[in-house]
Amino acid sequence: MATFFGEVLSVYSRAVEEDEDEVEDENEEDQQIRREMELKRAVHVEWCSEVTQSMMNSSEKTLQCSDFVIAVGCNAAGFLSAYVLNSGDWTVVGSVSLWNERSRGSSRQSGVPPQGEPSCVFYRQRDCPSVIICLCTCHVAEDQLFQWTEKVFGYIQRRGLNVMVLADCSVAEYKTPDSPFSSGVPFLRALKSSLYGSQIICPLLEQPNIVTGLQAAVLSHCQVHRIPAVLYQSYSDVISPDSVTMETYKPALTCLSKLVKLNTCPSTEILKKLVQVNEVQSNLYT
Amino acid sequence: MSYDRAITVFSPDGHLFQVEYAQEAVKKGSTAVGVRGKNIVVLGVEKKSVAKLQDDRTVRKICALDENVFMAFAGLTADARIVINRARVECQSHRLTVEDPVTVEYITRFISNIKQRYTQSNGRRPFGISSLIVGFDFDGTPRLYQTDPSGTYHAWKANAIGRSAKTVREFLEKNYKDEDVESDTETIKLVIRALLEVVQSGSKNMELAVMKRDEPLKILDPEEIEKYVSDIEKEKEETEKQKKKT
Repeated sequence: MATFFGEVLSVYSRAVEEDEDEVEDENEEDQQIRREMELKRAVHVEWCSEVTQSMMNSSEKTLQCSDFVIAVGCNAAGFLSAYVLNSGDWTVVGSVSLWNERSRGSSRQSGVPPQGEPSCVFYRQRDCPSVIICLCTCHVAEDQLFQWTEKVFGYIQRRGLNVMVLADCSVAEYKTPDSPFSSGVPFLRALKSSLYGSQIICPLLEQPNIVTGLQAAVLSHCQVHRIPAVLYQSYSDVISPDSVTMETYKPALTCLSKLVKLNTCPSTEILKKLVQVNEVQSNLYT
Repeated sequence: MSYDRAITVFSPDGHLFQVEYAQEAVKKGSTAVGVRGKNIVVLGVEKKSVAKLQDDRTVRKICALDENVFMAFAGLTADARIVINRARVECQSHRLTVEDPVTVEYITRFISNIKQRYTQSNGRRPFGISSLIVGFDFDGTPRLYQTDPSGTYHAWKANAIGRSAKTVREFLEKNYKDEDVESDTETIKLVIRALLEVVQSGSKNMELAVMKRDEPLKILDPEEIEKYVSDIEKEKEETEKQKKKT
């Protein structure tokens, strides 16, 4: 580590002390705290009464679904919102509520959180009830990812299920030997489970890049449980909702159009509502 | 890609990523164009739209460093303020020490040295600005220099920095003529034409600063700019009419 002349660095020892008694030293209070934390960080999935009813009526107590589209991040959610949810009769059929340091929603919420707030909501169309769309704009912590995936997929019938995930990622995470600016930001990369048979609309994600977060948890789950799944990850240099980044998902429309009715040219009003306009306030650059 | 974390570290293929990223920050600033004429130097900038309640006098892209030197910058506003302040102090210090105003090259070198120092210090990041420095030396020679975050500087006949700088530079390469810049009016018009390539909604969003030999810096009024713009449009119409005839 570069330091200036005269600076004294304290060196930390990397020796690991083998301490197997640590867990047994935990007293009643620690266990209580641990239980409370687990409860606080639990993931709750709620469905509307209609869906709960149809689940009760099915033999496996699951929701029949042929295509499950998940959007992770504000641009992916904005894209689905503008191009899919605005045309046709989509209703909210369920939501996921959870608490972590970055998503301070109350751990038990009744109904859907207000629009604009980070949330995780399920939509279904009346004319085509076998397609479910999930818009997830809240942060799901690493320790909650497994719970989220197990619980949500636990409600959905596995037979005949196809999964598509659209996710946002920052281009700063993209590792490439070329200059990161030569690929033309924003751009799409794909990953798929081994059973996914359809054509991919963009290049596969190159090594040594990895996918993390909810999209990785979903894809791993699909691979383990042999569900055909594809992930389209958009790398962008903008961290807020932005219409150019949303448009990178447009090639995915070709796959989605087989499933649902689409609005291929959403009006600018719809896009404006989704995009944060904060440029005039930014005096960072002149 | 962990070589971009600390400024003092080269990557295996010789890149200083923080300096390159600083150059990207420059591209986020609005466009600035500079042209060196025979008897005049002109700087034109794209004025950023200000918020309704903001006093637009405080958003200045063109700043005087001394009576004979002025500059425009593109990039991080706060970084520019620091660099400009240091340059202004240096200009006065030079006057007091050697009893002469700075040459444009001297002050450009001073600014570039500061910028370079910040690419070689631990814990500091480079300045995220490029600047166009123009003026007249005391022997009357007009000068235009461009600096960038790495601390390099070069003399130019005409150049552009900031957003869409590449487009403007290509326009200047096509349209800069040594005979044209002998005329003050033509030099000003060249800067305006270059800016019109990239500035939306025309002359309202432009600011122009002009310095003629042995004259102080002059910021053009919006009406004067509008007059040049309408002259340029008339000329354009005439060339198009001529093209249609032939």
